[in-house]
Amino acid sequence: MSRIGVFVCHCGENISRTVDVEQVAKAAGEIPGVAYSCDYKYMCSDPGQNLLKKAVAEQKLDGVVVAACSPRMHEKTFRKAADAAGLNPYLCDMANIREHCSWVHEDRKLATAKASDIVKLMVERVKKGKSLAPIVVPVTKKALVIGGGIAGIQAALDIADAGHQVLLVERDPSIGGHMAQLSETFPTLDCSQCIMTPKMVDVANHPNITLYTYAEVEKVEGYIGNFSVTIRRKARSVDEEKCTGCGICMTKCPKKKIPNDFDQGHGMRSAIYVPFPQAVPNTPVIDRENCSMFQSGKCGVCAKVCGPGAVDFGQEDRLTVEAIGAIVVATGFKLYSIDRKPAGSPIQGYGEFGYGTIPDVIDGMTFERLASASGPTGGKILRPSDGKEPKQVVFIQCVGSRAREKGISYCSKVCCMYTAKHTMLYHHKVHDGQAYVFYMDARTPGKGYDEFWRRAVEEEEAVYIRGMVSRLYQKGDKIMVMGSDTLVGVQVEIEADLVVLATAVQARDGADLLAQKLGISYDKYNFYSEAHAKLKPVECATAGIYLAGACQGPKDIPDTVSQASAAAAKVMTLFSKDKLERDPVVAKVNEKYCVGCLACKKVCAYGAVEEKEIRDRQGNLVKVVAYVNPGVCGGCGTCQATCPSKSVELDGYTDEQIMAMIEAL
Amino acid sequence: MTPNKKRLNYSYYPGCSLHASGKEYDISTRALFKALNMGLKEVPDWFCCGATPAHNVDELLSLSLCAKNLSLAEEVEGDLAVACAACFSRLKTTQHHLKQDAAKRKQVETAIDGPAPLGKPVKHILEILAREFGLAKLEEHVKKPLLGLKVACYYGCLLTRPPEVPDLDDCEDPSIMEDILRSLGAVPVKWSHRMECCGANFTLSRPGVVLKLSNAILESARLGEADCIMVACPLCHGNLDIRQQGIKEKYGSTDPTLFGNIFGSELQQGGEAQQQRDLPIFYVTQLAALAMGVPSDKLGFESVIIDPKPLLREKQLL
Repeated sequence: MSRIGVFVCHCGENISRTVDVEQVAKAAGEIPGVAYSCDYKYMCSDPGQNLLKKAVAEQKLDGVVVAACSPRMHEKTFRKAADAAGLNPYLCDMANIREHCSWVHEDRKLATAKASDIVKLMVERVKKGKSLAPIVVPVTKKALVIGGGIAGIQAALDIADAGHQVLLVERDPSIGGHMAQLSETFPTLDCSQCIMTPKMVDVANHPNITLYTYAEVEKVEGYIGNFSVTIRRKARSVDEEKCTGCGICMTKCPKKKIPNDFDQGHGMRSAIYVPFPQAVPNTPVIDRENCSMFQSGKCGVCAKVCGPGAVDFGQEDRLTVEAIGAIVVATGFKLYSIDRKPAGSPIQGYGEFGYGTIPDVIDGMTFERLASASGPTGGKILRPSDGKEPKQVVFIQCVGSRAREKGISYCSKVCCMYTAKHTMLYHHKVHDGQAYVFYMDARTPGKGYDEFWRRAVEEEEAVYIRGMVSRLYQKGDKIMVMGSDTLVGVQVEIEADLVVLATAVQARDGADLLAQKLGISYDKYNFYSEAHAKLKPVECATAGIYLAGACQGPKDIPDTVSQASAAAAKVMTLFSKDKLERDPVVAKVNEKYCVGCLACKKVCAYGAVEEKEIRDRQGNLVKVVAYVNPGVCGGCGTCQATCPSKSVELDGYTDEQIMAMIEAL
Repeated sequence: MTPNKKRLNYSYYPGCSLHASGKEYDISTRALFKALNMGLKEVPDWFCCGATPAHNVDELLSLSLCAKNLSLAEEVEGDLAVACAACFSRLKTTQHHLKQDAAKRKQVETAIDGPAPLGKPVKHILEILAREFGLAKLEEHVKKPLLGLKVACYYGCLLTRPPEVPDLDDCEDPSIMEDILRSLGAVPVKWSHRMECCGANFTLSRPGVVLKLSNAILESARLGEADCIMVACPLCHGNLDIRQQGIKEKYGSTDPTLFGNIFGSELQQGGEAQQQRDLPIFYVTQLAALAMGVPSDKLGFESVIIDPKPLLREKQLL
């Protein structure tokens, strides 16, 4: 016969207001196998826990049920107390009579009966429970950071500074990301490159950081502390060891008229190129689609002029496999483009703005490049169509953002601030120019942000018009902006020389595919999901993977850097121990009965199920069965529900326990 | 391409305008369908759809008018062909609305004392020409291509909006009229005011508004170097054609109020001042029928204000 102890909590009045706790405790005492029962005002308090510990020792209890709140709240607390009293913590369970009962019912009599039933179920469950021990897994103390923008750079530097090895993987030929493209940054107007490039150099020089640029994550296997990551290092066609970064190849390359993505297509680059002069590493890459050598087999000028002989037309992609303990995902964002979207896309383009066919209608990032000293115009604000200085510039906020009918309902968070910044930069560079801003509201939550915006309006002469723009069209060399001023209640028509659209921040193309490789979840906009919106904002639901920056949602630089450092701190916590303890609630396969149908493998969300061969002593294959890797298993129980031969069970939630609970009802 | 042997047959809801101020639209629609060997049978005993006024005054009335017409249309075989943009919009809106709101449908059925069938597809003439008859076939049937005729295709506000109702083409940047025009051999011009409002039925109550809005449309078409404007709505036609004389008297040769600016920025006050050219306004069916070889005296050209014949003569299309 079991000796179970039942402890019923009042939770102040939270439970006792609706449930007769004394009655519940009394009824529990009459369940066969219950050796002790009592009620107490606050079970989670110190005296409450001591009550539990004392009862375990004195009554020689072999199982405990605490009837109180949700196990999400205090399961750990009571299991710890049980452990301290010498009871296996997994023989301590909670009956949730608060969220599942007292909070949702009004009738005291019925609620009391229901609470008693819940306790009864849990008692039966604990009776059939087994002692379990935490799973211990080793930890490889090397972090992978995916993405070399400001988020990835910050996370990599923090982890590396703590003395751990970091592998930083960047898809583009250089690290730096979007921040390297910006001219000045709000709210202080300091030069983005001036604060960004030193950090890029720090990454390159850090003894603990291995940098793979022009590389992508190909495959991710394993689990927290023990990932095995395959990385594709794309062929640069330039030997990184030999190249000195002298740049003569770029000067001599005959193909120089290729639009440079770094300048949003408004500057030109050669076929062998570094994206921008401050690139890290300063090793060029050959853009094979535009290189004469690759397209027609003629040219090879770069190879001829290269002193160290670094140009290698025959270079191929290389795959490297790395053992990794933790992963920080920092893949960043892209900007919405207003052009016609493919049929079936939930995102609509902007037909009313001509689907992006008017050359002097540009996005915010293009304006950054125009305003940047390193940009295609050398920092002069000149419009793309005819290179003239625009005298009337219209900025339109919330283009694509907060527009459900266009497919996106969220706020992109950074546009109010960067548009205010743009009006200032414009005013500083074109003194006789006038900036107009169409806005819905000015959202400026952040230190010094509202002051910054007010400065744009009050000191820098930007005219803010509250309302949206219904149509843009070309009229001669002007762009007609048809909008409304909803504060005055009139229609507004402005002849603009340049229109700048604050287009929505979106997840990068392929963000969903990377998430599938990593086994992390993402929302309907392909932004990566954090484990808890408030309390676990940098962790993924998948253990050992952390998020930093705009890949999780639109974010400005200060927030991105904070999140990156937070993710780094989480990685350091993980790396602070040599072994990792995990909850033992994992699935186990009964190999005797498993027929190897592997239905469990198909439904496993964590990729924890593997095939295992059973061989006899002579080494002949007897059968193939499923095997659940305890390090990867998330303990969800889907396999248990799926298995047709009932040969996989979750420890702590066995079929026997569940059946006992049902029978008790 | 093998020609589709099956003859297309439609039921036809002309609407009040097509029996009165826009009767040339009706005449040319019938002539065009005949020339293309498509059947067109008028719904018996149809009445007003409520157009723009009814739904502003009484929602139930506007829905009931259309629901009753839709139930009358059930008596004639074939999808319901509609030429007027306002009738098209009202009939489609009614179907859309009542399909989603069972309670409202019941209310309407009580009002019209009978069932409100919503299953019959309502199709605009443009849709029938471009999609059902087909652009390629249309091109094959052209006997007299409209070579050299530069046309501003004017959609107005109702044909494609709101996006969830008409399902005719891209809501903000449609091309169906231009596509049809190209198959007829004419040249669609690029211009800005394809989708702006002409003022619609304010033509009676607030003519000043209509003069201003329609002037902007006409000026924009002139800037695009169009010879004429093509429409698919009798209200648009009325405002652009009938009011053109009044616009000329009010705005003369310049373009001062095309775009007013509340911030007083410098506006080019008619930089290229010139006498406003008359712009003939055609219905899509008039131009299409002309291209199919229907004689010009069968297309109602005599009942419009801005005489299109000089232009057609100049382009050797008469």
